[in-house]
Amino acid sequence: MTTRESEPSTKETADPKNWTNRLRGWLEGLVPRGQALPDRQPVYVASWIYVFGVLTLTSLVVVIASGCVLSLGGTTWWHVSSLGHYVNSIHLWSVELFFGFMVVHLWGKFWMAAWRGKRALTWITGVVLFGVSIGTSFTGFLSQSNFSAQWIAGEGKDGINSTGVGAFFNVLNPGQMLTWHVVLLPLVVGVLTLMHIILVRRHGVVPPLDADLEG
Amino acid sequence: MSALSIVAAGPGKYVDWGVIQISVANLTIIGVMILLFILALVVPFPSHDEQGQRKGHRR
Repeated sequence: MTTRESEPSTKETADPKNWTNRLRGWLEGLVPRGQALPDRQPVYVASWIYVFGVLTLTSLVVVIASGCVLSLGGTTWWHVSSLGHYVNSIHLWSVELFFGFMVVHLWGKFWMAAWRGKRALTWITGVVLFGVSIGTSFTGFLSQSNFSAQWIAGEGKDGINSTGVGAFFNVLNPGQMLTWHVVLLPLVVGVLTLMHIILVRRHGVVPPLDADLEG
Repeated sequence: MSALSIVAAGPGKYVDWGVIQISVANLTIIGVMILLFILALVVPFPSHDEQGQRKGHRR
């Protein structure tokens, strides 16, 4: 959208008391101009270790897409359908890759102390995301609607109940676990992922410990 | 093979080192991840923009 030169910009005419203007200003300030989808990166980013974050994100996209397909047919159809077997396998293996890539991403960021340079919140959102992802995966195994899910629920109930959350997180209730798996926890993972990416774009990719930033 | 026969299949192979007990499958996955981590550090990243690198950026 273009504006005529004679027209004042919306920034100049914006009423600071208007919540829409304030929200727009907040959204515009989340990421520095041009950094939302940059096509250039510092030279130290040219390393395979910097690829694992986006590999994790790509796996997550496949996890969510295959999960959406699985949810179309109900809670058991993947046991009795060749297409269901296929999509179920895509869902499982994309989760395996998601965790594999995320762990290598975690190791890489840990050993380069990625919380440097005001990136503490980026690190913290990543750590929390890792924990919530494990919980989401756990509820997924409880939602398989097979003997494996029953066995995992039976083994896990005492541990979960000992934490005091059993009243509203009952692993023996497959319906409740399915809801946690397909609604609540993916929502948390999605919001945290968005926060994590915005923070990475806001503060930039962390340089290696020995990077000569003056040169 | 029926679903029941998969469930009734024998237990997986485990390795024991004192208090540490881990399935061969999980140990293999951990080994692959460590290998991937090392390879990510030592394998050179392909670059086709030498000029961009000299300026301190890559495209």
